[in-house]
Amino acid sequence: MKNKVFMGLAAIAMVAVLSSCGKKPQAEIDATNAAITAAQTAEAAVYVPDEFTAVQDSMKTIMSEVQVQESKLFKNFGDVKTKLAATLTLANKAAVDAAAKKEEVKQEVDTMMTDIKAVIDENGTLMKRAPRGKEGAAVLEAMKTDMATVAASVTEAQGLNDQGKYMDALNKLKAAKEKADGINTELKDAIEKATGRRPGGK
Amino acid sequence: MKKGWRWVSVIIIIIISAPLVILLLIHLTPEPPAAGMEKARKAIAEAEAVNASTYSRKLYDEALALYDSAMVSWQRQNRRFIYFRNFDEVAGYAGRSESRALEAAENSSAMSTNLENRIRKKYTILNRLSAEIDTLFGTYPLNAEIRNRISRGKLLLKESEILYDNGDYFSAYRKLTDSENLLTASYEHASSDLKDYFKAYSTWKKWIDKTLNDSRSSHSYSIIIDKFSRKCLVYLRGKMKYEFNAELGSNWVGNKRLKGDKATPEGMYRIAGKFEGGKTKYYKALLLNYPNDDDRERFLSEVKNGTLPSTASIGGLIEIHGQGGKGVDWTEGCIALQDKAMDVLYRLVRKGTPVTIVGSMIDLQSILKR
Repeated sequence: MKNKVFMGLAAIAMVAVLSSCGKKPQAEIDATNAAITAAQTAEAAVYVPDEFTAVQDSMKTIMSEVQVQESKLFKNFGDVKTKLAATLTLANKAAVDAAAKKEEVKQEVDTMMTDIKAVIDENGTLMKRAPRGKEGAAVLEAMKTDMATVAASVTEAQGLNDQGKYMDALNKLKAAKEKADGINTELKDAIEKATGRRPGGK
Repeated sequence: MKKGWRWVSVIIIIIISAPLVILLLIHLTPEPPAAGMEKARKAIAEAEAVNASTYSRKLYDEALALYDSAMVSWQRQNRRFIYFRNFDEVAGYAGRSESRALEAAENSSAMSTNLENRIRKKYTILNRLSAEIDTLFGTYPLNAEIRNRISRGKLLLKESEILYDNGDYFSAYRKLTDSENLLTASYEHASSDLKDYFKAYSTWKKWIDKTLNDSRSSHSYSIIIDKFSRKCLVYLRGKMKYEFNAELGSNWVGNKRLKGDKATPEGMYRIAGKFEGGKTKYYKALLLNYPNDDDRERFLSEVKNGTLPSTASIGGLIEIHGQGGKGVDWTEGCIALQDKAMDVLYRLVRKGTPVTIVGSMIDLQSILKR
């Protein structure tokens, strides 16, 4: 009887020891999730969408792997830990890349904003020199309207820029810049036609 | 000794049976639904790759929610004693998640392609409309609100094209729709103005026919000014000999009503005087006999019925003169030609040469078809 009890305890102890070999790497999971949240806050989904999607997908795979190990009698989180470390690195990289890309877009917005304001100013000057003859500026009404539309668009872009929506601001500015450049060329053509000389500058 | 052997045999039995027990325990462990979950995850990733989160959001969100439910259910099962676990629910969620994600991906691809095609078609239509607006109304004095709408419509079209180039079809389509609304409404409004302008076409046609018949019968030169196409056409014996570009008064739409309205009159006139050198500040000038009897009758009628103030004056000194070629309509109501054209015209015509000014030589339908 004594021996049977002993054998039973030995079997239970063996199962208990073998089934508690691996421990869920909660600290690593939390750290990786925190890094993903940080990347999200850095707008990685906007500025480096492919990188961010890869990180999210990688985390999904890992969490699934965690559950697979949790389902097993003998757990082994070694591979999970390795993958978590790699994903943490990727998440951190996505955050850094997003910040860099954001800064790059911001710089592009600033440069374009400066450029377009210069073209708008030049267009204002050219408008004063545009052929009027005996009339006022009524015939240039269409061009003036376009200039006002461009100026309004630049103001809108400035608002988006102030809100940190650099991508939206940049897209708006690109369209406005193209229009402003078109007006610039039209005005110079009209002045050249009237005076025989093309105004300098851009 | 017997007791010793018994212990040895027990240990041997344990050593032999332990792996068998372990294998049995492993075999009896319920299989986790890893394969199903992996399929669901891959399907979601594929759906995301074809922008299902944008183009098939409902299905994509459902797929994500089902995947999350599967994970929660899996975690719940893992908390139970190992041999009491049942992963049927997890597998069910995973399967449904996969199927929704596949559907979302398929739907998204179709939507995206469909949207891309619709956008491209709309670009063609709107760019054509935009060009038509430029052709018909580029120099047409539209009201400020309409001009503003056209301008905003064109800028939105440009913004949409930039978004399209970036692959953001959804945002591109939104901008495109706004652009379409502005341009279409403006075009319709402006076209309605234009139709009003062309209401006098039958009268213009009569004037043109009479002018050409007179030119044929008298074997002499006649001039026709086509305001809409900005042309000065010179005919001899009813056949066109010269065609010059012309510039008009800035408010050239419609007939001249009074002094200072900056409109170019419409009617059948004659050259009343020729001036050059110090007698004109516009290089060379051909004075017309504006106002003619019809102009006077119309003016008096308008003053009488109160549509013009009693203090209004009918104006005069309408000329065909030089210093044109500015590329804009800039005169007070006169017709300006380039100096070289003026040299040719001045040489051909004499006092009394007919000058017919019409809104257009071509009817509106033909212009729109062009």
